[in-house]
Amino acid sequence: MKYLILVCLFAIVICLSSGFDNGMKEIKFIIPDGWPKPVYNLSKNKLTDEGFKLGRKLFYDPILSRDGSTSCAGCHTQWSGFTHVDHSLSHGINGLKGKRNSLTISNLAWNTSFMWDGGINNLEVQPLGPITNHVEMDNSLENVVKTLDTAKGYRTRFYLAFGDSTITGQHVLKALAQFLVMLESFNAKYDKYIRKEPGGEMTEQELSGLKLFRDNCETCHNEPLFTNNSFQNIGLAVDTVLKDYGRMNITRDFHDSLRFKVPSLRNVAMSYPYMHDGRFKTLMEVMDHYSDGIVEGPSLAIELSKPMILTPEDKKDLIAFLQTLTDKEFLFDLRFRDWRD
Amino acid sequence: MRLMHLFLLLFFYLLPCIGYAQAGTDWVLTPADTDKVEIDIRATFNGNTLVPGKKAYVNAHGDTFYVDAFRFYITNFAFAGSEVVNGHCIRGMFECDSGETHLYDLLDTNTYSFVLKKIPPAVYRDFTFTIGIDSFKNTSGANGGDLDPTKGMYWAWNSGYIMAKLEGHSKVCKTLHNAFEFHIGGYMPPNDASRRVSLPIPEYFEVGRPSMPTITLNADIAAWFNGIDLSKVNSILTPGKEAMMMADNYAKMFTIESVDFTPLNAR
Repeated sequence: MKYLILVCLFAIVICLSSGFDNGMKEIKFIIPDGWPKPVYNLSKNKLTDEGFKLGRKLFYDPILSRDGSTSCAGCHTQWSGFTHVDHSLSHGINGLKGKRNSLTISNLAWNTSFMWDGGINNLEVQPLGPITNHVEMDNSLENVVKTLDTAKGYRTRFYLAFGDSTITGQHVLKALAQFLVMLESFNAKYDKYIRKEPGGEMTEQELSGLKLFRDNCETCHNEPLFTNNSFQNIGLAVDTVLKDYGRMNITRDFHDSLRFKVPSLRNVAMSYPYMHDGRFKTLMEVMDHYSDGIVEGPSLAIELSKPMILTPEDKKDLIAFLQTLTDKEFLFDLRFRDWRD
Repeated sequence: MRLMHLFLLLFFYLLPCIGYAQAGTDWVLTPADTDKVEIDIRATFNGNTLVPGKKAYVNAHGDTFYVDAFRFYITNFAFAGSEVVNGHCIRGMFECDSGETHLYDLLDTNTYSFVLKKIPPAVYRDFTFTIGIDSFKNTSGANGGDLDPTKGMYWAWNSGYIMAKLEGHSKVCKTLHNAFEFHIGGYMPPNDASRRVSLPIPEYFEVGRPSMPTITLNADIAAWFNGIDLSKVNSILTPGKEAMMMADNYAKMFTIESVDFTPLNAR
């Protein structure tokens, strides 16, 4: 009888904990085999379930914007690889348009800088960009802290995450970083192919695409992160309306004119349109640019100074390969959804 | 085991006292008040206490102006001097570093003074500190306390701290509300706007007595206007050459006004 009660109690505890947990698994940051050491210093921001959930809540809560209208997720939806799909230029508060296409969010622990111009130097301070931008959230961190302080439930959550119910700018940013750093994508067909796992069987076309990719794209979009974190001019003519010179705005060095961050290609098939200003709607347009559209200039990437010769078949193969970078486990991971919790 | 702990504790508490007994001093040490130095900061213009808002000042160029905001980071303190042993100063430099970070804000009197801790007993002759934030703290993510990005001293679009900020207005500025704004920052060479400042301490200055010594620093904003014509230079908001020029100016704004040894209980 005693044992029966114990077993029942145990079962109840299991049910309750999994019920309260929204079916979440343990919070664990994974460094996949063969990947480099992360850039982000995880030892200074210990990942906890409470911190991750608080970060997730903040990410999905429009309370971060000045008028409570716009959340991070507004321009970074999970199923598109956390970007603003189908919008060449992302828009924020009052429907105001920015001057750039929002970047995808994945594997940020390996980023050495953030934003298309690399103006932001650490994952933890990255959210300050959109929070303060006048066409994105048009707010200040001071005001975010004030608003959260009077909002229902936040003080308790900050206490649970950081042992302090006094909300500070530092803790807002640390919580967001905990959520953002967990957005890891390493289970695409490509990854399974590399790991020789079931589901990683590539077609002949995809394998041909991989070879073409390694011959033509690998220098900047190097595996496994598909970016070398550098800034490059890939021969895109400057938009005469936006007049965006990219990296030069940060470094004030004319050598950096028209250079933009090399974006990761993970989930690229889901994250259209493409380029810093979203000028290309399809991957085929991107292929056409690399084969026929390069505009020469003093800062043009050396790799692109020789023409990239791609036949129509090559382009299809390359696109077939790029589609193997779509990671459905990541795009539909329940942990990253808006739980309204 | 417990006894061992007690012995160890006693030993470490008594150790400093033994040292001082040897030095031939007759005062009783209490560990709490012997390793601290209070720093008071007085913002001035040409030696007169700076008043924000309605008080008019005239700079070297002859422009009349008013001050609306004045803030700066003061960090990485170091003292250099001679260690005292047996009542005598030992030759040679003795240095100590304090990684404290302090944000001075003219509009917040609570920031006018602060205490440096863990300064070893010695006779010090030089006081050194940095105006601004070093590159490590500029790249280490979200910091807390005075470095919290809510303090209005952090740039969002191009990461990094504003090392020092002076805002005001003057009729010669043909800007919105006649405002001038100097937000000086940048941590990457060649545009690192932090400045190391070393000041000789004018009087005998010993740390380690029962009373906490105080150094009063004078931050004279007149230095900011060296070579500045407000009608032409009235907005510096990004790292670069102009910010570097202003950083060279504010590096010269400090002097040690006084050194005070009044015992704590007599204040």
